[in-house]
Order: sequence, then structure tokens, then C-alpha cells
Amino acid sequence: MTLRSIRLRVQRLVHRSLVLQVGLVFAFWFAGQKAVDLAGLPVPGGVIGMLVVLVLLASRRISVFSMRRGAQWFIADMVLFFVPACLALLDHRELIGLLGLKILVVVLGGTAAVMGVTGLTVDLCYRWRSHHAAAPAE
Amino acid sequence: MLRLPLNDAVVGALFWSTVTIALYVVAKRLYQRWPRWWLMPLAVAPVALIAAALALHTSYHDYIRGTHWIVSLLGPATVAFAVPIYEQRALIRRQWWVLAAGMLAGSITSMITAWALATTLGLNGALRLSLLPRSMSTPFAMAVSDEIGGVPELTAVFVIATGVLGAIMGEIMLARFPIRSALAKGALLGVGAHGAGTAKAHEIGREEGSVAGLVMVLVGLFNVLLAPLLAMGLRLV
Repeated sequence: MTLRSIRLRVQRLVHRSLVLQVGLVFAFWFAGQKAVDLAGLPVPGGVIGMLVVLVLLASRRISVFSMRRGAQWFIADMVLFFVPACLALLDHRELIGLLGLKILVVVLGGTAAVMGVTGLTVDLCYRWRSHHAAAPAE
Repeated sequence: MLRLPLNDAVVGALFWSTVTIALYVVAKRLYQRWPRWWLMPLAVAPVALIAAALALHTSYHDYIRGTHWIVSLLGPATVAFAVPIYEQRALIRRQWWVLAAGMLAGSITSMITAWALATTLGLNGALRLSLLPRSMSTPFAMAVSDEIGGVPELTAVFVIATGVLGAIMGEIMLARFPIRSALAKGALLGVGAHGAGTAKAHEIGREEGSVAGLVMVLVGLFNVLLAPLLAMGLRLV
């Protein structure tokens, strides 16, 4: 068996197996975490792992089919990963009451403003651009 | 009897992990059956869990000790974003400056509104500073909070609140605002409500989801790089 045929076999195996793909995502996260720990970066390990995977995908060192199903598996139930963190509220009883109400106003008001501004900016720029891109054709 | 504490930790971890996942699955089914904003899993599951923890006299410390592994799955989930971003590379390359404009406008709005609202309501000092970076995902927000003189642990709580409330608000806003493009929907959720917003965006569509994932990461990186400058500016205020 040549090196090339072994590679093809491994690739076909990974393309078919969800478990191997999930493991691959974990491996990149683990490597990113180690890199962050070693270099003392103020960036989460997942972000480094993501950038590495993006570079590998863009340079065609790995095929998107080697990770697609594994990635979807993580993203589909991502909301679950936030749920336990919400219970931090149990430790901050001081936030229940007037102070919490004030903070709630800041969070709700601020987030509404951020979303409104971001959404409208992108939507207006996008429409302006597609309008101008279409103009020379007229 | 002597082995009870260890036993408790293991049993507690198994029990709370099972309860957390089960409640999430039930909440998800409910939402699939009746898609109302107040039935979103991100609203129903935490409320039910807090009620359960209070009823069983479990502290946050005991709860999170056994369920922290669920939260740490956000790490590999971030790695997974690479795939949808790669698949939407043509759209992103075409519209990168539109996204950059949205991210810049959103980041500035986030800081200014948090500062102004907190000041108006009489929230000052470290509390006000801890509220500034709440729109970013947790690790970025904690780094920025530390840099500008906030309390990172408090910021983490505000980040979660922003994500949970933001994902719910985003859904309501998208239903009422005249925002049509997938690009704007994704940017709104990613800049406003970080990972929770990105999860919501993936529920809406692949384009929306990949845009949200990209802007979330870029906004975080941008703010961490800018934090020392922001800290300098805040010292002048």
C-alpha cells in the first residue's frame, strides 16, 4: 500500500464518520488551547483553533467534508452550552432587586441600540451597494 | 459515611448534567411545537433549572462543578464556526466592508449606550466599567473588562445576560424591523448577542449563521486589541 492510498483511505473514513469528525474538531480546539496557554495570549483557544482550520480549509490542506458533519453537530445544539452559565445568577442575589432592575435596563437598552444600529448600518450599506453595482448596467 | 462527599460530587455531577440536558431537550421540543419567543430554550431551560436548584438547595458552586464540561464545549463550537465561514467565503469577500462598517458602528454604540445608560441610572465605578464589554463573547469580554478596570467575574454575568436576552430580543426585532438581507440579520445577532445570537442566527439560516459567527469573533478580537487605548481614554474622562 502506498502512502497515497493510505491517505485516501483515512480521508474516506473521516468523511463517513461523525465520531471522527467531532474528534477532529476537539483536536483543533485542544491544540488552540495549548497554544494560548504557552504564548499567554488574551484570546480564547477556540478562536485560534478556528483560525487554523480556516487557513487549512482555504489552502485546501483539509477538505471541508472532513469536518462538515462534526461542525454541524456542535453548532446545532450550541444553545445548550450557554444554559449552565445562566445559573451564575444564584451567586449574585444582590442583583435581584433595584440594582438588578437598573442593570437589566442597561443590558436591554444597550443591546437594542447595538442591534438596531448594526442591523440598519449593514442593511443600508448593503442596499446602497447593490443599488450602485446595478446602476452601470442600466 | 466518610465517603459521602466524594460520592456527592460524582452523583451531583451526573444528576445535574442529566437534568440540564433533559430540560434543554424538553425546552427545544416545546419550542419546535410552539415557536413563541417566550418559549425559546435559552429562556425556558435556565428558568426551570434555577427553580430546580432553589428547590433542591443547590448552590451555583455545587451546580457548576458538575456541569462545567457543558459550558467548555463552547470552545470546540467556536472551532466549528470555521466550516460555515469557509462555505460562505464568497459572500464575505464581496461584502467585507459592509460588515466592517456594521461591526464598527455596533461596537461604538455598545460602549456609548452602556456608559450613558449606567450614568443616567446612577451606576458608577467598577460596576459601570464592567458593563461596557458585555456584547462580546465571555473570554474577550473578561480580558477587556480587566484591562479597563472592571470586575471580570461581574462582566461574565452581564455577558450571559446580554446573550440570553439579546437572542430573544433579536428574534423579536427581526420580526418587526424592515431588515431583509441575511448579511444584516447575521451581523445584528453576532454583534449584539455574541455566541447565543450566533446560535439563534444558525437557526434562521446558514448565511445568517456564518455571518454572525464571523462578526462575533472579529468584534471580540477588535475590542481586545483596542482595550489598552480605551483604558487610556477612560482615564481621561
